[in-house]
Amino acid sequence: MTCKLSRTSLLRLLVVLLLLSAFVFPFFVLRAGAFSGDVATSAISEAEEVVASAYEAVLEAENAGADVSGLLDKLNEAGMLLAEAQIASRLGDFDEAVLLASLCSGIGESVKNEAYELRVEAYGSRVMVSWLTMAGSTIGVVAVVFGSFLGWRVFKRRYIQQVLRLKPGVAKGES
Amino acid sequence: MNLEDYRALFATVSLVLILVVAFPALSTVVSFPSGGERFSELWLLGPNHMAEGYPFNVGVGEEYSVFVGVSNHMGCSEYYMVCVKFRNQTQPLPDSLNSIPSPLNSTYEFQFFLADGETWESPLIFSVQGEPMFVGNISINEVVFPVSCSSTWESERNGFFYQLFFELWMYDGDSSSFRYHNRFVGIWLNTTVQEAAF
Repeated sequence: MTCKLSRTSLLRLLVVLLLLSAFVFPFFVLRAGAFSGDVATSAISEAEEVVASAYEAVLEAENAGADVSGLLDKLNEAGMLLAEAQIASRLGDFDEAVLLASLCSGIGESVKNEAYELRVEAYGSRVMVSWLTMAGSTIGVVAVVFGSFLGWRVFKRRYIQQVLRLKPGVAKGES
Repeated sequence: MNLEDYRALFATVSLVLILVVAFPALSTVVSFPSGGERFSELWLLGPNHMAEGYPFNVGVGEEYSVFVGVSNHMGCSEYYMVCVKFRNQTQPLPDSLNSIPSPLNSTYEFQFFLADGETWESPLIFSVQGEPMFVGNISINEVVFPVSCSSTWESERNGFFYQLFFELWMYDGDSSSFRYHNRFVGIWLNTTVQEAAF
């Protein structure tokens, strides 16, 4: 009876251990370098896309007039990580490749967000400056037109008065 | 001068003044073409940072260094890629006339971003591994890459020759991919010297 009981409990323990190992195994597998070449390739492709879209966001910010030198430094950091990930993948070190690619993606995403913020800021100040310039120029043009018109009228009046003050004279030798 | 002449003078001066005052506003609406040609520079320097002393007679397993550089004059920030390729005498080079890159796979790549007017430069330390007539691997910046490239004896120059060359690529936002920027530089390597040592 005792023997039967202990065998049953042993079997139960074995089942529990098997179930536990089934849950724990994937974590160990991930730790022990289970990333395949496909996973690494897809992580690198994703990182490439993120870096490219971050660059496009930086370019838009630059076109809006923002200072993007800091963002370019970060992008260069991401670019270096991407190149290292590509090398690691080519050499078969897929774990390293995935790690480097995900670090690269992280930097790329943060650069993209910063670039959008900078673009909005730069665009706002650019619109403000444009409005001020337009208003200044319009006022200036109106002032010039008005001033020229007034100036011409004053000049014309003086000119006519000056001409009217002239007395007709007879030159010598004329009859 | 009569009154009509003065009127013409007044009108001319007024128009000039109007143009001067309106110029800042016009420049925000109308885009004026920026002067100067837009281009990128790609160069290769020897180990002493000069355009001389390039590695030519290379021994198998020995390290050599060059400097590769790029300068951006495109008017905006650019995303560049320099592809390092290795070939023998018969394998194709880029086609400069049709702006087509070499179909060979790149052994090593540099990717970087440059603001307008900025310059990038990087050392490249390399060594060839194998035999004079067959280079199995090439080590670039301490990373070994397989190239499996064989060369035939060139009787005119008396040697086995290979070329290490660098292509400049630039990211194209329209196609969302890199495109060849029609610039390449390279150095010839003669591996025959090592044969005498065997």
